[in-house]
Amino acid sequence: MWLKRLLTLIPVLLAAILLQSYFWVPTYETQAKGNPKRLLKYIEASSGDAKILNPILNADSASSNITGMVFEGLLDLDENLELRGRLATHWTITEQTYLLVDPNSQLPSGEPATGALLEQRIQYALDTGALPELKNILLDMRRLPSELQTTTITAQVPGDGNQTNPLSVSISITIPERLAFTLNRVDQDFFNRLAPVIGNQYGTHFQHDKYLHNVDSVDENIVAQVKAQLPSLLSVTEHNPEILFHLRHGVRFHDGQEFNSTDVKFTYDSIMNPRNISPRTSDFEPIKTIEIFDTHTVKIIYKRLYSPAISAWTMGILPEHLLNDVAMQKEMDERNLSKATRETFSMRDSTFNRNPIGVGPFRFVEWQSDQFIKLDRNEDYWEGAPEYEQYIVRIIPDLLIQEVEFQTGAIDFYSTLPHQVARYREDDKYQNFSSLGFGYVYIGYNNRKPLFANPQVRRAMSMAINVDEIIKYIMYNEAERVTGPFPKVTEWYDELIQPVPYDPEGARKLLASLGWKKNAEGWLEKDGKIFEFNMVTNSGNPIRKNIMSIAQNAWKKIGIKCNTQYFEWAVFLKDFINTGDFDATVLGWSMGIDPDLYQIWHSSQSGPQQLNFVGYNNPQADKLIVRIRQEYDRSQQRILTHELHKVIHEDQPYTFLYASKGTRILDKKIVIVEPQLDGSERYKKIYPLKSGAIQFYFTKWRKLEHTPAF
Amino acid sequence: MWTYITRNILQRIITLLIVSIVAHSVIHLAPGEPSQVDPSNPRMKPSDIENIRAAFHLDDPLHVQYVYWMRDLFTGELKSFKDNQPVLPKIWQRFLNSLPLLICATLIIWSLSFPTGIHAAMRRGSAYDRTTTFTAYALISIPGFFLSYIMILWVVNTFNVPVIGMKTFGMEDADVAFRLMDRLWHLVIPSLMSAIGGIAVLSRYVRSQMLEVVGQDYVRTARAKGLSEDNVIYRHALQNALLPFVTMFGFLLPALIGGSVIFEQIFAWPGLGRLGYEAILARDFPVILTINFIAAVLTLAGTLISDLLYAVVDPRIRLQ
Amino acid sequence: MNTQQEIIDQLPPPETQFQEFWRILKKDRLAIFGMIVLGLLLTLAIASKFTTEWVVIFDPSTVRLPDKFLPPMSESSTDLVPSEDHPVFGIYLFGTDELGRDVFARMLQGSFVSLSIGFIAVGISVGIGIFLGGLSGYYGNVKLGFISIDTLIMRFTDVMLCFPTFFLILTVVALLPPSIYNIMIVIGVTSWMGTARFVRAEFLSLREQDFVIAAKALGLPEHRIIFRHMVPNAMAPVLVSATIGVASAILTESGLSFLGFGVQPPFATWGNILSDGKGFIFDAPWLFFIPGFAILIVVLAFNLFGEGLREALNPKLRRR
Repeated sequence: MWLKRLLTLIPVLLAAILLQSYFWVPTYETQAKGNPKRLLKYIEASSGDAKILNPILNADSASSNITGMVFEGLLDLDENLELRGRLATHWTITEQTYLLVDPNSQLPSGEPATGALLEQRIQYALDTGALPELKNILLDMRRLPSELQTTTITAQVPGDGNQTNPLSVSISITIPERLAFTLNRVDQDFFNRLAPVIGNQYGTHFQHDKYLHNVDSVDENIVAQVKAQLPSLLSVTEHNPEILFHLRHGVRFHDGQEFNSTDVKFTYDSIMNPRNISPRTSDFEPIKTIEIFDTHTVKIIYKRLYSPAISAWTMGILPEHLLNDVAMQKEMDERNLSKATRETFSMRDSTFNRNPIGVGPFRFVEWQSDQFIKLDRNEDYWEGAPEYEQYIVRIIPDLLIQEVEFQTGAIDFYSTLPHQVARYREDDKYQNFSSLGFGYVYIGYNNRKPLFANPQVRRAMSMAINVDEIIKYIMYNEAERVTGPFPKVTEWYDELIQPVPYDPEGARKLLASLGWKKNAEGWLEKDGKIFEFNMVTNSGNPIRKNIMSIAQNAWKKIGIKCNTQYFEWAVFLKDFINTGDFDATVLGWSMGIDPDLYQIWHSSQSGPQQLNFVGYNNPQADKLIVRIRQEYDRSQQRILTHELHKVIHEDQPYTFLYASKGTRILDKKIVIVEPQLDGSERYKKIYPLKSGAIQFYFTKWRKLEHTPAF
Repeated sequence: MWTYITRNILQRIITLLIVSIVAHSVIHLAPGEPSQVDPSNPRMKPSDIENIRAAFHLDDPLHVQYVYWMRDLFTGELKSFKDNQPVLPKIWQRFLNSLPLLICATLIIWSLSFPTGIHAAMRRGSAYDRTTTFTAYALISIPGFFLSYIMILWVVNTFNVPVIGMKTFGMEDADVAFRLMDRLWHLVIPSLMSAIGGIAVLSRYVRSQMLEVVGQDYVRTARAKGLSEDNVIYRHALQNALLPFVTMFGFLLPALIGGSVIFEQIFAWPGLGRLGYEAILARDFPVILTINFIAAVLTLAGTLISDLLYAVVDPRIRLQ
Repeated sequence: MNTQQEIIDQLPPPETQFQEFWRILKKDRLAIFGMIVLGLLLTLAIASKFTTEWVVIFDPSTVRLPDKFLPPMSESSTDLVPSEDHPVFGIYLFGTDELGRDVFARMLQGSFVSLSIGFIAVGISVGIGIFLGGLSGYYGNVKLGFISIDTLIMRFTDVMLCFPTFFLILTVVALLPPSIYNIMIVIGVTSWMGTARFVRAEFLSLREQDFVIAAKALGLPEHRIIFRHMVPNAMAPVLVSATIGVASAILTESGLSFLGFGVQPPFATWGNILSDGKGFIFDAPWLFFIPGFAILIVVLAFNLFGEGLREALNPKLRRR
């Protein structure tokens, strides 16, 4: 019967046609099958779409990932996390310092200070070798005449209800005679070194009010406010660090325009332009002015000593010719914008943010919202065109699909979740890279509370907790113990400091020596009060919740009663952290690359809404923190940070728990290509940097057809 | 005949009108506003929200909004809330993406169900029959996405080939033959998965139809004449058993939308169902309403076609 | 006369309807299997309500991170878990999830929630179906202006059938605030059309039956005729479709959960345990397979039992 046969034949045929297609499809191992160009594409997945492709405006990782490829900064961090020149070939950091002549001060000889006298005495000291350290760094000393300056400052006037409104007030002041010094490096101790000549008390009685001439207001309240601000306007001593950047010649934006000094200044101006609402302003606020020397030399002058400001120049540089006022005007005309829209139009609204043009190794090509972003290599890249022809980021929100696509070779990179790490580490089909992040988790004690005021008590608290157990059972061993406030991957962290040992018996003894004795119920008691406190954290974070219950159990064993509470994040911040109204808490910090701990640990930052909410207060630590952020010499900084690490570790204001690790996996066929002198090529296995980054040599990555053997 | 068709079409247009009104009111009366959907945009000022509401007529009375919608739909000027793109081309593009999936799934369903169903009917009560019966029930009882994930896992772990999406990403510069086969391969698993339920239902239906027909007098007569069993089954019985299936062609069209949401979501297939899902997430009312409207049109057209087809193939039925 | 009586006496006593039904059902082994599973499940669901909520023995929400991702039958090993949080019997029958919650306890809790969604949704749909179908079948001829009640209701049924059901459910559930009751109601309100249609058909035929005409002639009140005489006689097909309806409601809920519109925490349903588990499919497959197979078994049991009911209740089908 033909019909019978047909009925059987059709499904068999259909199945055959459909299934044979399998033999044409590339597998993970054979990605180049029928598609050699696949090896020239690097495909990554991102859970979220990019928001705005502009290095000075974006704040999300998907966008900064792309802008990092399209744009380039003056500097970046090299393998050892030290600054390295990119668009700047080299740079020098010098300093201008100013000393106001204070006639109220007496020199050690008893004479009142005048400009000429000061200059003469200092010169004399230098000539006679009385100031040996200064002789090496001081390049020049000048006397500047006094001058009249008109400026505006901001005062607060009462507004509706309890609110105050800012008001600009015009004032004129006389800047007295000054001595200006040019130093060949930044020296935060410069004025201390002058002390033998100018005296220890120089400037302490400076009468600021005398130099105020005119306030454009009769309101007494405003005048008082202006007077209060004078010391910062007329500082007796002033440090102005300066960076002279020599820019790279012959670097072109993707549209062919040559990169030069105006682009650098324009990028700074755009960040500081309040209309652009840039999230980067705090990094650039310490800048006083930018001077353009010539097309390829710029000088950045800072208002004060602030060493972290240098690494801000790793940020991508914008093309001035495409975003300046003329270009914006043209764009508004082309888009036929209404008058109302024009008034609020800023760089944020420009189409540039969807078609970015930079100088980076990859050129922007296409962005399909929620689907992919495609970049092509920049053939004219100053460091040589990258190996890959294309860089593609696919937007795949579902992590499982990301994983499946990775396993089949449709994407080249996957960032694992903690529970998957063990599985991938055993799998030698892929290369995996594991590294510590820049964050850490801690138990913070409110140092203001009498219960926790004594560092010995806090140390005993830490001794009772088995941190290794937390790492093992809660973090899948994907974490490392930390002992202090710096990221473990940076050189600021002192590896030599040993963690507080797990020793519940020792903790009990330590507490006993402080007067805490076990009572009949088994709780520790002192002066009729048992050792009891509340520990809070935010709800919705199971890891913190479990750390709390483990800590609670551990303390219970030595007789400390800890009650735990969880609050919704906003409530937790508002009612407990911001007000400092808590006993202990479990939280985490995510740190940056700079060693500046001012906001988190300086005692001046322990007020409401500030980040030192545990109220840590140690004058020695305060001094170190300030010195670190004013120190421009890396080796000096390292000594200081190790010292600070030790001080904080000894005080145990936190029980430092762990820094968690991240593990990324990569297609095993991707290698680093190293051209040899004889024209041949050598393949090298990709390795992570100290910071954990693996893409440092991305432009030299190449995907091979077969898995190489190393 | 023609009066029947005309009257029928008119009736269906009235139904369609009511469907669109009901859909429109349900969506607009439900809580949730499209203009509040974008909380990620901190620069959205109250005035902007006002502008959006005005631009999309959200503050007009319901019936006025309905008229605007209908007018824009038929002039082709309907724009999506989400990205301000015209709705119809968007739907058309997604429809074209869904079409191969539908065709492939239909082919699988129909080509597999008939042999399975007929065999089961012929060997009624046998182990084969009982196995297929049980399998059919199991297949309609399994959550589609559960089975799909098991399938994806198995294929990916065993064969290491991509199965997600319409094609392998990164194949854009490959040879035409490879690109074509790659697309075909990406069709296999999603269409098989969306066909599973259909195979189960249709093969059961084929079986019961065959059993009914086999019991009829003319089949007995044919047997009595001494015709071979195959001849009896495939010539006499099957032809008659096939009649009701003609009508089922009419129901293929609406299946494009309803059932495909989950499968397109699992396989990241940029089709119509996924468009609907994305529109729901973004509260993109014009897209939701238009998809719904098109689904209703397809359903109504489908029933009309099946009625007509039935009349064509079965001379006992007259259209009045 | 006498002989006739004797013959009647010699026949086996006439079966009651129920006996006949039971005799047929008993023969269907699959249906019996389904029934047993359902019986067990119902007991379990009610027991679970006690053990997880009223008398807390199993607490499905206890988080124990040190015990996370333990495979089924593992013991709670570490002393890091406070003793009051240890699982009953000291082992995790179905393993633990990513937060160390006991999957067995969650499945128990989910069984009650999943079943109540199925039953309540079907209750709503059957209620609406009987009401509209009955109205249309019994009072069909009453005119409301120019249109009869029957036409009105049947047109409305047609309108509802035009919506792509799953897409409609998805839309409404997405627009409404997330709540378990909304899901029940929406599933119920979108699935009554079949019931209404055949209740109407039953009523139309019952209306002409002798016992109804007799009842009318006796002047019995209408509600008595409807509820005592007609509704029980129309119940058989309703029961069948309700049984199968529960199965499809459970499947729909799991589909909604998969798309992220299902029942929100703290309620655990099998659907959302399954869709949460899919993210851990490589590392903790039991989180995916246990709820998946549970759904499969239960839905299968409902379907098999429903089919068995259909066969046993419908004498015409019995021949096949």
